[in-house]
Amino acid sequence: MNKYDEKWEEQINALLDGELSADGAELLKAEATDDRELARAIIEAYQLQQVMDTVKVERAPDSLRKRLRAIPAGQQPKPAFSFFQPRWAMALASIPLAIIAISLMQPETPTESEIAQARQEMAIAFAYLDKAGAITGREIESTVGQTMANAVTGSVNKAIQSQNLNSKEKKV
Amino acid sequence: MSKKYRQWVKEYQDQAWTVARYILKDAQEAEDATQEAFVKLWDNRDNIDPDKIKPWLMRVTRNGCLDRLRRRKDNVQFDESHMAGEASGPMQDLAATETGAWLKRAIGGLKEPYRSLVVLRDVNQHSYEEVAGMLELNLAQVKTYLHRARKQLREQLSEVRP
Repeated sequence: MNKYDEKWEEQINALLDGELSADGAELLKAEATDDRELARAIIEAYQLQQVMDTVKVERAPDSLRKRLRAIPAGQQPKPAFSFFQPRWAMALASIPLAIIAISLMQPETPTESEIAQARQEMAIAFAYLDKAGAITGREIESTVGQTMANAVTGSVNKAIQSQNLNSKEKKV
Repeated sequence: MSKKYRQWVKEYQDQAWTVARYILKDAQEAEDATQEAFVKLWDNRDNIDPDKIKPWLMRVTRNGCLDRLRRRKDNVQFDESHMAGEASGPMQDLAATETGAWLKRAIGGLKEPYRSLVVLRDVNQHSYEEVAGMLELNLAQVKTYLHRARKQLREQLSEVRP
């Protein structure tokens, strides 16, 4: 369980959502240099975001698409399978559905290069996470800054730079 | 057939299906729940503000799913076997590109409203304002609950790391 002040939780999420001000991002980074748990929480948040990016909206199955198109024709909701059907019939019916489902899943299957990249990224992220757990003080600042800038994701620094740029543009 | 309705189906069927799938964890029941929501959309098509179709539909889909969960006798224990590409061993699979499947299962294990919040915001990519409208929460509540949900997921992720 993280022991850092819970008030930073909101800041971390705002950072990931791109809603944290430049000042807020600087403050968060400064705090992370002295708070190992906070530094770890930031890294973990970025890691979660990376994993989250792999999850997409699922394509509705063709059977559902067909049912939705039929609604205006006056069809009411009904189960695709009746429980009164023999079990063997349901089993047989599930075979083509399973084949369709598998074929529909194919476009979302990652390529070999994506798999390799994902492995590498996760390995780097975890390595830095371990490193962050083994050092303190200024070393954490260094680790947090560099890992986020170069390895883990877009980085706090990148966000800060972007947000600084945005605020400058707004001022202009 | 209404041209508008066709467009709504085309635009929102995947999002509604995703919400139902995560909440119900049963493909067949998720299909039924999604269809029910679209039947209600069809029945109420003249009464809904066209600009609010999406939040309305997501809210109706979610509420229908929650009603179904309440009716389930075994709603405490759920069958995860339907989850596509589900990881059986989080640690190994995490390193073997099963991160998506691991996360799906982790999201599915969250309690409401955390699960719906993560699905609507982080999976379906709706804005905070849209999510607030869908769940009938204020913006502060949405952010607070989502922070808690993400923290739970983060902690689970950290537990399965090598």
